[in-house]
Amino acid sequence: MVKEINDVSFESEVGTQDKPVVVDFWAPWCGPCKMLGPVIDEISNELDEKVKFVKVNVDENPLAANKFKIASIPTVMIFKNGNPVDTLVGFRPKQSMVSEIEKHI
Amino acid sequence: MERYDIAIIGSGPSGLSAAINAKVRNKNIIIFGNSNLSRSLVLAPKVNNYLGFYGISGTELRDKFQKHIDDMNININTEKVNNIYAMGEYFAIMTANKTYEAKKVILALGIEHTKPIEGEDKLLGRGVGYCATCDAPLYRNKIVTILGYNKEAESEANYVSEMANKVYYIPMYKDEYELNDKVEIVKDKPLEIVGSGKVEKLVLKNTEISTDGVFILKDSAPPQQLVPGLEMEDGHIKVNRKMETNIEGCYAAGDCTGKPYQYMKAVGEGQVAALNAVEELSSILK
Repeated sequence: MVKEINDVSFESEVGTQDKPVVVDFWAPWCGPCKMLGPVIDEISNELDEKVKFVKVNVDENPLAANKFKIASIPTVMIFKNGNPVDTLVGFRPKQSMVSEIEKHI
Repeated sequence: MERYDIAIIGSGPSGLSAAINAKVRNKNIIIFGNSNLSRSLVLAPKVNNYLGFYGISGTELRDKFQKHIDDMNININTEKVNNIYAMGEYFAIMTANKTYEAKKVILALGIEHTKPIEGEDKLLGRGVGYCATCDAPLYRNKIVTILGYNKEAESEANYVSEMANKVYYIPMYKDEYELNDKVEIVKDKPLEIVGSGKVEKLVLKNTEISTDGVFILKDSAPPQQLVPGLEMEDGHIKVNRKMETNIEGCYAAGDCTGKPYQYMKAVGEGQVAALNAVEELSSILK
């Protein structure tokens, strides 16, 4: 399950977590985001126990997008203890996305 | 949506060779390219190393290729492919207005001879991009600079100007520019994109521009941008003896896989790629 979060809930959903959090920054007008969405859904089902998955609509949540300098979407960021540890810009196939995420488990 | 067996990206010698070989084996194919087939083929004054055609000119050879595909009812789709996404079971192929699906993809992209500019790779995704319309809404009230290598870049610049605060257009070709009043044309040679963490400015030969984003718009984006996740090696697509890339179901052939940049090497690779793609398709059915 990929939970939709926003500027207000960002801190509590991402900041205070024991397990790594994968944040998918997306927008409805972005083609590659639409392709990446189902890929992230699939991965979230497989890694559900070890990793938390959330998504942020950058159109509706400019604060989070600005704070993390999102200049291109989709951007996937990985957080640990509230700190960003990795930034993956652009679509990538499932296999490669999984191996990037697994580095942080 | 119809799902093609094989999508071939590129209409040069390697792409055409892949197309005829896949077609012979009754596969449902789609080939993307341009109506001229190959720009470098048309420009070649004499070709003396294509077996069977001593002394032929590039245009004559192009005409023979054209007749060959016409005779086999192969039509070139002239839409520009922006992105190819490996979805696992299939590939999604995005053009400006449509999405196509194919089980296998053969990349016959040729080689882009213009070099990346200083800072381009480092700041990619941090202000540098290859598709202005894709990321334009992120630059609301910001400054955007566009390096345009072709006419299509002008309409992208006009589109971006509706959202950005300021758009600079650096034309990399000579022509009349159809740009609206909000776009400022800067005729100068770009040298370097500068920024720490994200794009801050573009340095040109005679001036500097403070900018939040730089879009580089060429005929074709680098292969790893076209196909996210694609593995490269020394500026070329990495392939094995079967012309397989690191992405399952995605093959590459011709100049885009490496030197020598020759017609016979290209058609040979296109054939190997197509035959292996065909074999993979039939093994799925078993």
